[in-house]
Amino acid sequence: MAGSDAEKIRLIQSLALEPDADTPRLLDAWREDALYVFQGSAGHPIPVQLTGEKDERDAQVAVVVETGKALNDAHGAPLRLVGSDLTAVEHDAKLRRTMKEVLDTLELAAPDPKKRVDAVQAIGFAQNFEKLPALQVRFSRETNPEVRRAMEEAIALIQLKAPDDVVKLQALGELRGLHTLASFDFVRAALREAEAAKKTAVAKAAAVALSAIEQHKSAVNFFGTIFRGLSLGSILLVVALGLAITFGLMKVINMAHGEMVAVGAYTTYLVQNLFGGGVALSPLGFSLSIPGLQATGWRYDAYFIVALPLSFLSAAVVGIALERTVIRFLYRRPLESLLATWGVSLVLQQAFRLIFGANNVQVYSPAFLSGNWTVNDILFGWNRVFVIGFAGAVVFGTWLILTRTPLGLLIRAVMQNRSMASCMGVRTERVNMLTFGLGSGLAGLAGAFLSQIGNVGPSLGQSYIVDCFMTVVVGGVGNLAGTVISAFGIGLADQSLQQILLNPVLGKILVLVCIILFLQWRPAGIFVTRSRNLDE
Amino acid sequence: MIKKLPRFLAAGALALGLAFSARAAEKTIKVGVLHSLSGTMAISETSLRDVLLFTFDEINAKGGVMGYKIEPVVVDGASNWPLFAEKAKQLLEQDKVAVVFGCWTSVSRKSVLPVFEKNNGLLFYPVQYEGEEESQNVFYTAEAVNQQATPAVDYLLDQGYTKFYLLGSDYVYPQTTNLVLLEYLRSKGIPLENIGGGFKKDESGAIISAGKYTPFGHTDYQQIVAEIKQFAAGGKAAVINTLNGDTNVPFFKEYAAAGLTSETCPVVSFSISEDEFRGLPAKQLVGQLGCWTYFQSINSPANKLFVADFKKWLGATSVPGIVKEGRVTCSPMVLSYDGVYLWKAAVEKAGSFDVDKVRAALKSGLTFDGPGGTVKTQKNMHLTKNVFIGETKADGQFKILKEFKDVYGEPWLKGKFK
Repeated sequence: MAGSDAEKIRLIQSLALEPDADTPRLLDAWREDALYVFQGSAGHPIPVQLTGEKDERDAQVAVVVETGKALNDAHGAPLRLVGSDLTAVEHDAKLRRTMKEVLDTLELAAPDPKKRVDAVQAIGFAQNFEKLPALQVRFSRETNPEVRRAMEEAIALIQLKAPDDVVKLQALGELRGLHTLASFDFVRAALREAEAAKKTAVAKAAAVALSAIEQHKSAVNFFGTIFRGLSLGSILLVVALGLAITFGLMKVINMAHGEMVAVGAYTTYLVQNLFGGGVALSPLGFSLSIPGLQATGWRYDAYFIVALPLSFLSAAVVGIALERTVIRFLYRRPLESLLATWGVSLVLQQAFRLIFGANNVQVYSPAFLSGNWTVNDILFGWNRVFVIGFAGAVVFGTWLILTRTPLGLLIRAVMQNRSMASCMGVRTERVNMLTFGLGSGLAGLAGAFLSQIGNVGPSLGQSYIVDCFMTVVVGGVGNLAGTVISAFGIGLADQSLQQILLNPVLGKILVLVCIILFLQWRPAGIFVTRSRNLDE
Repeated sequence: MIKKLPRFLAAGALALGLAFSARAAEKTIKVGVLHSLSGTMAISETSLRDVLLFTFDEINAKGGVMGYKIEPVVVDGASNWPLFAEKAKQLLEQDKVAVVFGCWTSVSRKSVLPVFEKNNGLLFYPVQYEGEEESQNVFYTAEAVNQQATPAVDYLLDQGYTKFYLLGSDYVYPQTTNLVLLEYLRSKGIPLENIGGGFKKDESGAIISAGKYTPFGHTDYQQIVAEIKQFAAGGKAAVINTLNGDTNVPFFKEYAAAGLTSETCPVVSFSISEDEFRGLPAKQLVGQLGCWTYFQSINSPANKLFVADFKKWLGATSVPGIVKEGRVTCSPMVLSYDGVYLWKAAVEKAGSFDVDKVRAALKSGLTFDGPGGTVKTQKNMHLTKNVFIGETKADGQFKILKEFKDVYGEPWLKGKFK
């Protein structure tokens, strides 16, 4: 493991030719800094790998790389060494890439098809003619359709470099049929090359293949945009649904709605830390620390499932407190409620700063929300699929509460005519409180989700409050169906404009202009709530 | 009782006077600190205030500058650019400070520039910037584009990357840096079609903006990440990221969710240092690259001593509002630290606090052995220093991959690479 960089690279490459069961393990260890140099008693360095559980002083068993046996001290007892005391065997990105190439070649035989696909692609991109026979042998034995497809692509990519035009034409025909996104650059390069060499047949075939890929690309973009629009719409919907209740039904202009979202997000952060390393806060000088469960793996990931109901509850409690202390005095005075809730939002933001600090806090996404499905090159992020389903579930749940429960009946009665409901014996005060709690709780749920895709900080609510009001107003105040339609409409319009204009800022501006024009035409939104109330 | 009052006052005044004369025996020199201690930039700039106060205490404990104790005058720019100019005016005209250490954003520097030029003041500016400026009243300890962006690109080219996607926040630093990088990449033989993010051209067809830009506070990176995914599908692609502050969080979360990693398409970021990691999900950035003239992980006795001393000072200080837990050091902090010592050396060489004499001394090539290695002042008011490429680790520190020794700071790069 010595010598110049070039020599190291050559040595590593030679490993691919004489595979050994230990090679992948050692290279992985090297890449992950688990290989160390131990200064032996005779003064010559011994390369060792530290493995096994760490004990209380972080020491691990040292295994000598050459023999594969544990390193013993003078008395023959196995030595335990601490990683930070030793020098890690060095490597830079160039060496790591060489190691990856070797590992890729070895991984052509990996049991996991995903790994095989990666390995095949890496070989195809390198367009190395020497690897072609090995790939063709593997291809005849491969049964997994996905890996076979990747191999067809890789073989065609390598054949693009063939000196023979017939092979090239055949490869281009193959690539045209496969029309993978990855081959775009290579086909374009082949086109340039053929044009420069004035080989019209090859150039024509390359151009045809290129346009097939372009076509596929625009199809991917089209469906991708629809999916992204749905996901953005779902986020808007989840965030705005609570406001559709507090503002739409109760007519309270709640400027602190964004802070309810932040309460939910911070609750998620607290639950995450309780599952992990514990919570240490120092609000107002006194310090509070709760030990965590130190969970790992899926148990740690389960924090998000626990956080969802808790963030609903915590935001609902804050909402109810807000309703009892401030809003209940302001039901008939919307302008005052605007000012008062704005003040409350400032107070809450400052409270977040005092408790959690002015910096953003870190919320990690659980594994089941951080992967993706790729279907025919269209990317479906798990978190995005989750939010679409989540929005559907939340809307359905809210609809059930409002139309199928006694509480829902009371809510609708009080919202339509407060004094009449009161005369009929409905305890309007209590209904108001619960309705506001429901709206705030929904905002908290939104916060739990937002923590998975963005920042959690004191100003989290500020960045969503405008979008919330926009969604509710466009949908038509007092109408849940309107909110749903407007959220998806805005989401789809925003993403399509971004895709067409290729500019995130212009897209957003155009959406806002469209909304202004729309409201000129229909001031009451998509669905107009008709009422016999003389006030409206 | 009332009769006695004047006598109390007199006694009080006398005591105060005595205290003053005792202070006066200790010669002091006023030095300005102009950073945002409130508003959006406070998160980053407060750390610079902290490290400056630490440096002043360190110098004062060793006898001060030419026997004068440094007396800091700290003012708050409040992330409000016109206010920066007013505060600068106050420091120079009322407090008559000898030198000012301050500013973070380029727009705040542009805002105070006329004030410093009118009053012939001296500003030490410590944060990576876009260049294309060389005032006689500003000493740029900051990384110029050729001390951060172009070495990072050199590194990527050396690693065999041939496609580059440019992404940044929409303001002067990313826009200018990306234009310089565009010229640089073209000069290295990268074709235009291999540079992603889009271009804007004026009527004559000249490119006036390269790359994709998002506003501050942007939250939806789905479309951009999908574009990068297609861009990187053929391999050998990297992202050059000049996004600022917390917009990095939604970007990197989306990036990870799309299955892009540092091995398939690395991101090199120019605005994320150790200090910013305090608010970022570091685990999702593992393996991504950074390029600065200092990393906390530099393994040298000078750096270890600096980090230990700074932490000791944090524990002992009684300045209100200083966060004591979980602190780190980063490049802008060290460049602030270097700036104070370079100013001290220049004053001692000139034998005077006079700005013209200090400037002449600064231009004569002073050196200082800082935590990031030896730095040397240049005639063009910039700094020669070492540049490091690092890889992010899960604990928010960088593992150093490559070091470029003694890189000359060159502010004028536009049109230089052909």
